[in-house]
Amino acid sequence: MKFVLLPLLAVATLAAQSLESGDDPNVNSRYTIESISFVDAHPYKLSPSALEEMRALIGARLNTEALNRLVGRIRGELQAHDVKFRLARGGDPDSVKVLLEVDKGKGDMDLSIPQFAYNSKLGWTGIGEGSVNIGANALTLGLRSDGDTLIERFTGIKARYDRTAVRSKRVRLSFEFDAYHEQYNQATLLALDTTTSSSLGAGAYRSRLNFEPSATFVVLNPLTLTVGLSFEQLQPELTAARSESANAVINTLRYHSHWRESDATKMELDAGYSLRAATRLLSSDLGYTRHQGNARYDYLHDHQSIEVTVVFGAIYGRAPLFERFVLGDSTMLRGWNKFDLDPLGGNRLAYGSVTYGYHIMRVFYDTGAVWDQGKTPERKQSAGIGVSGGLGVLQRGAFLLALAFPLREGRVDPVLIAGMNF
Amino acid sequence: MTIRRERIQARAARSGLIALICFDLIALSVSSGDLFVRQAAGEIRVTAPHAHFLTAQALERLHDGAVAQFDFQFSLAAGSKNNVVARAVERFVVSYDVWQEKFSVVRLRDFRKSGPKASAIAAESWCVDNIALAASLLPSDQQLWAKLEIRSVDPKDQTSAWADSGISVTTLIELFSRPTRPQQDRWSLETAPFRLADLKPADLKPADLKP
Repeated sequence: MKFVLLPLLAVATLAAQSLESGDDPNVNSRYTIESISFVDAHPYKLSPSALEEMRALIGARLNTEALNRLVGRIRGELQAHDVKFRLARGGDPDSVKVLLEVDKGKGDMDLSIPQFAYNSKLGWTGIGEGSVNIGANALTLGLRSDGDTLIERFTGIKARYDRTAVRSKRVRLSFEFDAYHEQYNQATLLALDTTTSSSLGAGAYRSRLNFEPSATFVVLNPLTLTVGLSFEQLQPELTAARSESANAVINTLRYHSHWRESDATKMELDAGYSLRAATRLLSSDLGYTRHQGNARYDYLHDHQSIEVTVVFGAIYGRAPLFERFVLGDSTMLRGWNKFDLDPLGGNRLAYGSVTYGYHIMRVFYDTGAVWDQGKTPERKQSAGIGVSGGLGVLQRGAFLLALAFPLREGRVDPVLIAGMNF
Repeated sequence: MTIRRERIQARAARSGLIALICFDLIALSVSSGDLFVRQAAGEIRVTAPHAHFLTAQALERLHDGAVAQFDFQFSLAAGSKNNVVARAVERFVVSYDVWQEKFSVVRLRDFRKSGPKASAIAAESWCVDNIALAASLLPSDQQLWAKLEIRSVDPKDQTSAWADSGISVTTLIELFSRPTRPQQDRWSLETAPFRLADLKPADLKPADLKP
């Protein structure tokens, strides 16, 4: 029996003793990660911090442990049955591409809150969504009550169908249906009664229905072009009155890219231009063209960040209220009340913002003007301070808690802004 | 007629199921003729030329650039087949170079790495060659049985083994005492009885991975 129980237990402690810290047994760890993308080109919604983790891996040597952590995190955020990574040869012999494969399983359903916000002047805004993915098809049903984005509060449902992979996966087909009930601020109703603006295409409407087929093409990655049609029906406040239509051709050109100068320095650029042209050719009662361009540039170095945003817009013709530009909400010219600036919105917009961040602290300065063609724009300014980031259950979407102040003479009237997914 | 057809179908299904189970068992255990023992430099080693574990899902995972881990247990029994007197356990991490299209193996205990370029068969042989028992532990006057067990590590369990404190021999022995999970592949090979004196010290060098 002297031989029994001699199974090298004495050497039990030598396990991994000679491992060097950070040693990766994967032979591919010698390669640099060129890119990380999803195989099915589905527009998955990931938290800003997960995207940041993903970006941190790009440009660095492949680290199986870090990649497994990312995969586990994505699996959790997407509530997927499984997420696997696959390596493919990169553009040069020292690099590899990481392709993520999401297995949503049979019961591929997801419930999410894409946006939730509170503005002490404008009230609550919330969007809840449920989505089902069946192969390359995605069906989304959402409930929305939004008092922030437009001049009116609109509450209702949004249903959307996406065919995410068409042939080369460079095309995505979508169909969206929206049904909203509108509510107006007293200031807006008063302005509607007294306005003589020739640029306003319709008065107050009780509800609106939108049917919107579209197709998105990857022109040259990361440049995408969305083309489609929007058939919008506006039901007037008076039931006896005739409904009006705003049927438009829609085009959106979008560019989104990020760079990494070093481990500590990263940059991101998101820019877009959208055009909506309502025309008689589509049997539209209202005729107008709406142009909007925006760009956001982020520069991150260690724990510091600078974000610069600019937005410009112009409407020609008679556009309804939901198309008009607004400032003084929870995202643009924060601290001002949009009803004080222009209760009907404007057909011209110019806006800029600079945000400085250190860890989760944020300080921002906003400036801009919204006005009607032919009038002199009045530039307004605001500033604010707050915290932003992702914590615990909020990892999925960054939260913001801020106090914003309009910069004007007289009393200081701060606005509290809180929410997720800004 | 319908009842009779159903019975025939049920019998056929049962036979099919039994055949499938038998095939599964056969597929997972290799006959004793597939494991050879040799002695070199005071150590007992085995050779298993027909043990191919880089197959199916593990191979697919490797071709995707991920790692696949395998636990090996080499045991020797003396007197009777159940009287295990010596045991060695190792965990090997296999990966596949997506550019060079070659396999690489790391013995996790001491991070001993295989050569950089290897075929699947050479990688398998390197694992088998790199598990050994000291000959001094074995009785020279009794019949011996050698057994090699290989288990794939569930991908969900194989993260961070090299990043933290590693995996201990105790843990590996404990892992082998557990039944395999359905998603784990396992292979078991045994030799016919032999005596230590029958093993002529082979003039074998420590196994190096050949391309």
